[in-house]
Amino acid sequence: MRITHLLVVLAPCLLCACIGGSNGTATNTVPPPPTVNSLAVIVDAGPAGVGTVNRPYVTVKVCAPGSTTCANIDHVLVDTGSWGLRLVRSVLTAGGVTLTPSTDTQGNTIEECAGFSGGQTWGPVAPADVTLAGEVASKVPVQVLDDTNAGAPPPATSICVSSGSVHNAVPELGANGILGVGVFAQDCGAACVNAAPALDVYYGCSAGAAGVCTAENVALTGQVTNPVAMFAADNNGVIVDLPTLQNPNGDATVQGQIIFGLATQTDNALPATGLTVLGADPATGDFNATYNGGTAVLPALIDSGSDDYAFADPNMATCTATPPNNPLWVGYYCPATAPQSVFAVNTGVGAENASNTVQFAIADPNSFVATAAAFINLGGGQGSTRFTWGMPFFYGHKVYIGIDQTVSGTHKGPFYAY
Amino acid sequence: MLVAVGMTPWCVAPALAALGGDAASVAADADALHGVIHSTPLQHYDIHEITSDNGMRLREFLDRNGLVFAIAWSGPAIPDLQRLLGTSYQTYTAAVAAAGHPGLKHSRRIATSDLVVESDGHMRAYSGRAYLPALIPAGTSAADLR
Repeated sequence: MRITHLLVVLAPCLLCACIGGSNGTATNTVPPPPTVNSLAVIVDAGPAGVGTVNRPYVTVKVCAPGSTTCANIDHVLVDTGSWGLRLVRSVLTAGGVTLTPSTDTQGNTIEECAGFSGGQTWGPVAPADVTLAGEVASKVPVQVLDDTNAGAPPPATSICVSSGSVHNAVPELGANGILGVGVFAQDCGAACVNAAPALDVYYGCSAGAAGVCTAENVALTGQVTNPVAMFAADNNGVIVDLPTLQNPNGDATVQGQIIFGLATQTDNALPATGLTVLGADPATGDFNATYNGGTAVLPALIDSGSDDYAFADPNMATCTATPPNNPLWVGYYCPATAPQSVFAVNTGVGAENASNTVQFAIADPNSFVATAAAFINLGGGQGSTRFTWGMPFFYGHKVYIGIDQTVSGTHKGPFYAY
Repeated sequence: MLVAVGMTPWCVAPALAALGGDAASVAADADALHGVIHSTPLQHYDIHEITSDNGMRLREFLDRNGLVFAIAWSGPAIPDLQRLLGTSYQTYTAAVAAAGHPGLKHSRRIATSDLVVESDGHMRAYSGRAYLPALIPAGTSAADLR
C-alpha cells in the first residue's frame, strides 16, 4: 500500500527549485498539470500481497471535511456496479485520516450493512472531501469499512451478522476501498428514506464497540453517495476506457483511464454514430439480456467490479481443482472445448430500448499465464439469475455510464452505452 | 385475524422461522414486514407471497403437510436471513464460513445435502432463495422455486 502525503512530495521539489540547476536534469521535471477530468486506472495484482485478477484500480485522495488532513489511497476498486465510496478503516488510519461518523437526530452513529451479490460491507457513514483527478466532491457521505471492529457490531436482523460473508478487510476486498461509480447517486435511494419498517440497510447505533444498532431510514443527502454525482461539474456520468489486451492468455498490467462527465468536455463526447445506448430501469439500474438464444430475460448490467462474464449456463462445465488445474479457478467456467463462442443480446429499458448482440468467448482459465492479472474470456456465475458484463467486456469496449436523473447530450440517465 | 390463526392446528407456539416452519410462521413474517399475504394454491404446493410497503417481496412455498420448504426474496435490501432460515440458519452460517471469501462481487451459492441458499443481485435490486432439498414435493423442480 502506498499512501503519499502531499506535503512530503512537494517539499523536495521546492528545494530543487531553490538550488537552481546545480544538477542540470533536475530543474525542469515538474510534469504538466493532469487533465482535470480523467484519472489513471491500472489493472494489476492489487494491494501488496493480495494477488487479484481483473480488478481496475484508481488512487483516491480523501480528506477530513474542510481540512488539509488528506491521504492518497491507492488500489481503490473502480466499480460501475455499485454506488458510493467505501474505504477500509485501517487504511485510512495508516494514512493519518480519521473520518467522523454521521449521526442521526438522536445522536446515534449511522452505520450501514451494504450488500453486494456475494457479501457485505459493514461500518459507519462519514462525510469526507474526495478528490478524483481535478474533480472534488465536498462532504460526500462515504462508508468506513470497520475492519478493526471499532464501532458497533451489526444487529441480529442484519445479513452482516453472518461474519463469513462480510468483506471489510483488504485481503477479503482485494482492494483498499471500492469506488462505486454506477448509474445512481445514492446507494439505496428512495427505498431507504420512508420505508416502514425501515430496510435492513442503514442503522442508528449507540457509540462504541458495544453499541446497539436499530434499522432506520436515512435521507438521500445522508446516504453513501457516488462522488461523481457531487462534483461541481462533469457530474452526469463516467467513461471507463481500458485498452484491449496484448496477450489472450493474460497481461501482467493494463493501463487505462476513467473520464468524468459525459458530453461536458472535449474528451468525453458521446459518439454520434456507432454507440449502443441501453436505457436502465430507474428502480434497479438494470437493462435486459438474453443468453445464447435462450428465452429467459435476465436483468443485466455492465460491472467493472466483477472479474468475469457472469451468467448461468447449465451446459458449460465449471472448473475443478483436479490437478493440474489451478484451484484458484474453481467455480469459474472451464468449457470442455475452449475457447467456447457464445453470445448475448442486450436490450435497453424504457425509451432507449435498442437491442445489441455481443459475441464473446469463454476460455479455460487454467490455460492463462499464472503471473498475469488481466484476462479476457473469463466466465463464471453458474446458478446466477442475472447477466453481468464484467471486466472482460471492458477490454474490448469503451463503456459510458449515465447517472439517473441527469442528461448527457440527448440521452437521459440511467443508461449504459458502449 | 385471530380467528383465522386459531383455526390452524400449529398456532400453539408462535413460530418465528419461515423455512421449516408452518403457515403460522408465514403470518409472523408478514407481520414483521408489515406485509400483505397473497396465497396461490398449485398442484403440489401453495405459494404465499408477502409484499411489503417497503419494497420487499417474499415468497414462501408450503408443501401439502403445511411446511415451508422454500423461500424466495427480492427487493431493495437483503432480508433478515436469521429469521427466514430459522433452524437452518446455523447450517447456513457454518457453510458460509467454510466456503471462505468467494469475492464480494460473485453471486453466492451454499449447497449442502440439507440446505441450498442462493443470493444474487446488487444495491437496490437483491434477490435470492433458500430451500430444503429433501422436502421438495415430488413432481416439483427446484427451478420452479423462485
